[in-house]
Amino acid sequence: MSAYMYVLIISGIIPVLASFWPPLRFYRNIKALLYSITLIVILFWLWDVFAIYRGHWWFNPAGVWQARIFNMPVEEGLFFVVIPFCCIFTWEAVNYLGRKRS
Amino acid sequence: MKEYTLLACLSVIITILLDRISGMNVLRRRMFYLFFAIILCFKFFVNGYLTSWIVMYNPRQFLGYRIGTIPLEDFLFGFSMVTMSIIFWEYFKQKQ
Repeated sequence: MSAYMYVLIISGIIPVLASFWPPLRFYRNIKALLYSITLIVILFWLWDVFAIYRGHWWFNPAGVWQARIFNMPVEEGLFFVVIPFCCIFTWEAVNYLGRKRS
Repeated sequence: MKEYTLLACLSVIITILLDRISGMNVLRRRMFYLFFAIILCFKFFVNGYLTSWIVMYNPRQFLGYRIGTIPLEDFLFGFSMVTMSIIFWEYFKQKQ
């Protein structure tokens, strides 16, 4: 397991598990979730691939797997799936708790 | 020319425009700033760790200022990605 993969797992595990919590009713909007993450993946993969191509940043081989998608480490590609999911989950949780309080 | 700096600034402008044009106006909601503060806390751990030894930045393509280990431009990149995620989500949720 690469260090970067551990980062993704640790970031995503609680939001993924907590999204099954019934009051959030996350599953009702599964399509919206898929569309949103797909759009982010398209836009930010383009940016990332361009940035790697232009040498804006690169990855320490000791921290990532050798496997690549469009010259990006697989972990970097997955970052744009995991982190938007965490963000959308947090957004829903914050709004749910906000509604509950008011 | 600092390409990363330029792209990061451009992405923020596009994000703000997208928020207005889509009519989602998440940046005008008070809850957004509470949400963003929470995300920022997590960002310091995740991004901070990644930029400490896994992701390397070309000094010629960013300003060179860092908060901890995180380049300033990463905050703009992060803002755009996080905010766009919420704009898309609100948009598709409303359409459904």
